[in-house]
Amino acid sequence: MSQLSGPEIKHTLRKLEFPLCAKEALTKIGQLLISNRTPTLKHMDLALDLMAELVFCEVDRRGNKRPSPLTSIDELQLIDALYDYFNSTANETSRNSVFLSLFSGTTAMMRLGVLSKLVSIAVGVPSPPILISASTWMQQLGNTSPNSIQLAKALVRDYFILAPNTVPKLKILPKIAPQFVANFLTAVANIYFCDGKKDLFTFPPQCLLETITFWIKENPGLCIAAQQMQPSLPQGAIAMEATTPFAGLLKWCILASIYNQDFDLYGQLHLGLISSILEIPVLTTPRAISAQHLVVPAGSIHRYALETHSKLKRGEGGDRQKLFKEDQTLQLCLDRFAQAVQVALSVKCVYGNIEDLFTQLQQLPQNRLLHIVIGTHKQNK
Amino acid sequence: MSHTTIRNVQQQDVIYELKAFIGGSTQDTKCNHVDLAKTALSLLKTLPAARDAVLEYFCVVFNSATQNFIVRLETEIATGQLPPASEEDETIISEIHTVISSFVSLNAESWAPIISTWSLELLGELSTRYAGRAHVSSGVNETLQLWMSCRATRTLIDITTQCLSSLIHSDTEACINALLDTSVKHSPNFDWVVAHVGSCFPTTVITRVLSCGLKDFCQNKSYEQGCDSPKIKSVVGILGHLAGSHCDDISTALLDLFTWSLQPPSLQEAEDVKPQKKATVPFLLQLAYLSPTLLVAMCKDIKSILTLDVVIKLNNFIDDWCKYFGSPEALQDFIVNLIIKCDVGGVQIINILLDCIFIGKCENEVVKERIKSTANEMLEYILQEIDLLIRTQIQQPNTSINILDSFIREAEDLHEILLSSERIKLKTACRIIIFIGCNNPSVLVKSSVFLFKNAKSEEHLAFLMHILTNELLDKTREPYVEKGGHFAVVLDQVFGKMFEKTSANDGIIIDTHRMWKNLLTLLQWEKSDQIPLLRSKLISRAIYANLTSLTRAFGSNKLEHDEYHTVAELLDLLDLPSPEGHQSYTIPIEAILNFTFATVNYFFVCCRETDVTTKFIGYTRTYNILKRLTLHSKAAKMRALRELLERALFTDDKLLFGAQAESIISYNGGEKLLLDQNRKNNKTIPLTKNSSVLNGGVIGSGKRKQFDSNGLSKETVAENMEQFIRAIKACCELPWGEENKTVDLSLDSLTSVSLLLVQFISPDVMYNGLPWPEEEFCKVTIERDFYIRRLFNNTPLLWELLSLVAVYRPTLCYCSVLLRAITATLLHQWNSTSDQSKTADIEKYNAIMDTTIKVIDIMSLGQLLPPPLSGIRDVIPYLKCSEIVQVLRDCIWNYMRDHVPSPALFTCDASGVYWRDPTLARPPDIYTTTLRIVMQQNIKTVGHLYSHMFINIPQVE
Repeated sequence: MSQLSGPEIKHTLRKLEFPLCAKEALTKIGQLLISNRTPTLKHMDLALDLMAELVFCEVDRRGNKRPSPLTSIDELQLIDALYDYFNSTANETSRNSVFLSLFSGTTAMMRLGVLSKLVSIAVGVPSPPILISASTWMQQLGNTSPNSIQLAKALVRDYFILAPNTVPKLKILPKIAPQFVANFLTAVANIYFCDGKKDLFTFPPQCLLETITFWIKENPGLCIAAQQMQPSLPQGAIAMEATTPFAGLLKWCILASIYNQDFDLYGQLHLGLISSILEIPVLTTPRAISAQHLVVPAGSIHRYALETHSKLKRGEGGDRQKLFKEDQTLQLCLDRFAQAVQVALSVKCVYGNIEDLFTQLQQLPQNRLLHIVIGTHKQNK
Repeated sequence: MSHTTIRNVQQQDVIYELKAFIGGSTQDTKCNHVDLAKTALSLLKTLPAARDAVLEYFCVVFNSATQNFIVRLETEIATGQLPPASEEDETIISEIHTVISSFVSLNAESWAPIISTWSLELLGELSTRYAGRAHVSSGVNETLQLWMSCRATRTLIDITTQCLSSLIHSDTEACINALLDTSVKHSPNFDWVVAHVGSCFPTTVITRVLSCGLKDFCQNKSYEQGCDSPKIKSVVGILGHLAGSHCDDISTALLDLFTWSLQPPSLQEAEDVKPQKKATVPFLLQLAYLSPTLLVAMCKDIKSILTLDVVIKLNNFIDDWCKYFGSPEALQDFIVNLIIKCDVGGVQIINILLDCIFIGKCENEVVKERIKSTANEMLEYILQEIDLLIRTQIQQPNTSINILDSFIREAEDLHEILLSSERIKLKTACRIIIFIGCNNPSVLVKSSVFLFKNAKSEEHLAFLMHILTNELLDKTREPYVEKGGHFAVVLDQVFGKMFEKTSANDGIIIDTHRMWKNLLTLLQWEKSDQIPLLRSKLISRAIYANLTSLTRAFGSNKLEHDEYHTVAELLDLLDLPSPEGHQSYTIPIEAILNFTFATVNYFFVCCRETDVTTKFIGYTRTYNILKRLTLHSKAAKMRALRELLERALFTDDKLLFGAQAESIISYNGGEKLLLDQNRKNNKTIPLTKNSSVLNGGVIGSGKRKQFDSNGLSKETVAENMEQFIRAIKACCELPWGEENKTVDLSLDSLTSVSLLLVQFISPDVMYNGLPWPEEEFCKVTIERDFYIRRLFNNTPLLWELLSLVAVYRPTLCYCSVLLRAITATLLHQWNSTSDQSKTADIEKYNAIMDTTIKVIDIMSLGQLLPPPLSGIRDVIPYLKCSEIVQVLRDCIWNYMRDHVPSPALFTCDASGVYWRDPTLARPPDIYTTTLRIVMQQNIKTVGHLYSHMFINIPQVE
């Protein structure tokens, strides 16, 4: 079969009915991408053509866009084929390379529907091979990239919004696919408590928060899982550094109180995160938390302080600092911020411009613990 | 390790299910559908990612269930037998329903939008696919019934309503949008779904549908785009369906939307609200243009919505609207077209425009002027447009003009404008009524009746004439032409109503006097000959046509005094019946009789009138009319005389002429009927011949008392009597052209008067002949003689009448019986009167004497007693009672007995006067001897008379 030329392969495959042709095409694509150590440009093109025409059915045989997309059942058949293919491919590298080609940076957006359903099913079944590939995909495209966030959103919708009854099943997910969960957490952390365009904050659903807290408390190493195991990539590919979910999730806990989301859960999550940070092995080059990411909540705190101040200005007009000191929610928020910074610094896992972090911290409203943390830092310098 | 095993088992299950589902749903193999559905539902729970595919599969399931249902129905139609429903379908669908509905109820916020979109889309597809099969889609209701009897579609509808109701407070927008989109796609087959969903949540659906429509409408930049938008059509369709049962909700929603658009945009509102507010009114107009039902909903209560304040507010938006419609003219055209299409609220709209024209308070003068001029312009435009439409309609009779229907329905409101004092309002209302009248003369007549009855100024009447003579009206139309024109019908209704009112309910007081005055004014206008519109004698023709009822009204006793005078003036002015008789109009006899009766009635009204001028004008009118009537018709003459006499002699009217009112005589315990008293006597006293209670008094109560009953002064009584005599004379006038100098009245007529007197006064028909019998015979007639005498005593007017009759000889002859009765009673009385009574009971004596003189006077006046017998009146006051008896008996009675008082005694001279030559008719000595002897015996006192009576007698030359 490998001797056949491109057009011949296409011709043969076109004779097959839909789900079957996709299955055969996938095998072919796998062969094209993996058999040779470095696939030739010609092979790459053929593989891409096969994907578009025979797998995803986006174009017809002449390369024109097909007017009607796949029906949902057809799509499910395709997902089934993809599922079978990936599960039957034992070699992680081959699997990852096919996965990355199917959902490359240029085509991911278009195929995101299929991708998120595939991953969602992989989560639901569950299927570690696919989850590992998905994790690799997220990492390679950047786990905070729009694509990853879209995928995370789809998964949250499927399992935490539409089918909360499946949540208990998900509790063992970190055991099955820790890297995937780590990357997923990083993406999810960026969905909520985020400055959107219209200044509208959204908050995570309760069951999502519960699950995350559970995951982190039960698996202290979960957050750095993606960093600890390098994905198997095709030859020549550059491995991308995974961002840990620490900074993003800490932001939730820090900001929760000033957005009146102060359930007990955030406290628990905070504790879980702090404990997880303490477990991070000390490295010569810190890579777990970026100072730049860690400082993000400061902006929201500033804005909150300003609003509170202007609201009460007319009434008292008096001491700004006193006002802030008496504001319990603000103090709780600053306490958590200080704790996070202190712990992260103590295990030396913060990288980037730490000085800038402190400059920003100094400008925040007064807080005793924060004051101490800043003082300590100055002394250590 | 345990983890792994669990995982594997779980993994096996889920994957097995997924594959089973894929296998089952893609292959047409005969797998177990129930199991497959269960698998699908389980997938829905475990793998939410598969939901699209699962729902797609359910589409197939529902489709086949629906198809089975339709096929069953078709079989039934073909064979008459309904095959049993597939149990499998039922099970599967109920299974699906349970699961989906539990999803929605547990987690509405997430599932409801997905499920409702799916179910709506599926419903749309199914409705379209099976449209026209197994049923004829004639209306939404039938379609609804068909689909509600199908398990599959009913389940879908249930699911949809469940979704909507769970979202009703949070996110209806999404659901309604889906509803609208589907409706756009599958209209009209989808309408039943909208209708059903709409009637489940009318308020929400209506509000939402409107707001979705508005949002879509805002996307359009211009009118042309707005018309073609499929969404607005769908909005119209949905609202149209709901209008049937939820018209009020729609009205409220439209009103809310309108009020919302008028509120100044607040700061919190999003940016896109501002254009929406601007577009609201064009949107509403567009809706109204597309759907007559919505137009109705909007116009129903437009009066309370478009107040002047609102109009002033609207002014701020005008420029934007003009931009939307292209130009101010286009906007105006559009609105005017809409107004003309209104089925309801037409009058309200006109009222609003009129109010705008008379806008009073407005801070900004420029705005005020603008509103005024625009309203004026619009009003004129509308009226002209209707005018044009009507003229085209005359050529093409099958078109209908909606606003006219609304005008007809709201004619009551129109009437209010009709009475306005503002000329423009009045004019507008008149034009509208003319428009209505074009096709609907009955409404025109109704309005004319109203205007006619209530017109307060001459201007109103002028407009009434304007309406009735307008060229747009088809005056040849039946039944109006038969009845004598529109105005005749108007009068007909007015009089008809008047009788109804007086008979049925007196609660509503209608100013009938105004109506009479109005009619009079109109007639005066016509008679003045100054007004070209009335040259056709419209008014008098109408009155002729209604003369019977008009005269009947005039004769009724329900009118006020003033009204009688007005009507009398009117009828007098009418100059009916014409003496020349050259008018083509012949008065029906009933009208003549009514008229006569009424005029007599009017005479008595005049007698009671307090204002002297009015009274005398009234008398003159009465005489004029009576003269015309009696000359016109003998029947009228008889009726008039009879009525006059009867009323003056026997009814309460007699009090006017100084008569005694017997009815007020009352004894202790009220009046006792003679009959009753006699009956009482019958029981207690054994029957003897003369056991009757006589009129002289009542046993036990003493003599009957005389009452000076009424407070009328002697002058008034005399005045009344004089006028009465003039009235009688008016009835006895000679025809025009036959008057001569000596005789001014018709003797025939006076003979009638004379006969009538006998008829009325004499209690029975016996012994009414002219001859006087033997005095002995008076014993037989004594009772009736006394009866007659009493009438004369109580009724002074009778003497006047006798005098009148006596003057016009020989008519008194016919009253012979009355004279005889009086004379007989006098004889009787004088016989029983002693000479002492001359001093003892002077009153009684004087009364008898007075009567004696009067009767002799009258007989002399009528030349029944020739000289010297005629001189007895002067003699008797000097005589003793016994002598008076002698004279009365020997001279008068015997003379009369032997010379029957008949017209044969009289001769007619050259000038037509009847008389008896006193020189030739001198009575023989046998009748004068007694007189002579008695006079001689009393020569001391009657000497001067004696020479005059017996010595210086004129001789025949």
